[in-house]
Amino acid sequence: MQDSKPNETRIRAREAASRMLTTVTAGVAFGAIAGVGLFGVVSAYTIPGVAADSTGATASTSTSTGSTSSALQSSSTTVGSSTSSGVAVSGGS
Amino acid sequence: MNNTILWYTTRGAGTVSLVLLSTVVVLGVLSSLRFESSSWPRFLTTGLHRNVALTTLVFLALHIVTAVVDPFTHLGWLAALVPFSSYYRTFWLGLGVIAFELLIAISVTSLARGLIGHSAWRAIHWLTYASWPVAVLHGFGTGTDTWSAWMLAIDLVCILAVAVAVSARLIARPPDPLAADRARFRERVTRKVTR
Repeated sequence: MQDSKPNETRIRAREAASRMLTTVTAGVAFGAIAGVGLFGVVSAYTIPGVAADSTGATASTSTSTGSTSSALQSSSTTVGSSTSSGVAVSGGS
Repeated sequence: MNNTILWYTTRGAGTVSLVLLSTVVVLGVLSSLRFESSSWPRFLTTGLHRNVALTTLVFLALHIVTAVVDPFTHLGWLAALVPFSSYYRTFWLGLGVIAFELLIAISVTSLARGLIGHSAWRAIHWLTYASWPVAVLHGFGTGTDTWSAWMLAIDLVCILAVAVAVSARLIARPPDPLAADRARFRERVTRKVTR
């Protein structure tokens, strides 16, 4: 009977740690989902991309230098065939 | 779906994937160091390492899928699956493909660890140390936000965290005094099984 107490303590500790693992994993997953939204918004704010009108003429709306997105900005074919609002975006990943 | 949202999601998911991958590497190093405390049992590190690794794959998939289906980039699935086949930033995107495929190999062999044996699993798991820097280089080479202050801060934190963890791994003495004996025993058992 005396040995059962340490065993119980160990079992309880393990169960508590298992719950903690589930909680932390769920926290990481939800945090990551929120992170995609947050970083998406931040990236949209810092480098919003390029808007094009229906004639295909492009005008930069970027508030920063946006130097790394230049390679796709030069693509005129897709810009011309973009959404009905005439707005297209460009950039890498 | 709006092209803009796809592009922002690609960038957001890429950033989150980098943070998660760095966390996975740090947790992996911590579990190899057999880190534990009174409030943090060892199996929590191992379990979290596995769970965060699987979460990383989900967000990497989101990063890749949103980049591929974005009609503006028209990268195509081939560019996402075959390294250096992309017309756009061939080298840097190729690094991203390599990093992702290494992670797939590491994850699959980890899930099939019982089938392939400890030695093979361990050898393949060392590829993590190649996958992480390749992924970081991919981000630096092709990331739209690479030179934004917030992205540089995230890169710096990730690089520092992994550098500290790996340094601790290299400096720390073997945490298990019976490691050599265990390895010898494992080898004998493996030999008996294969006979």
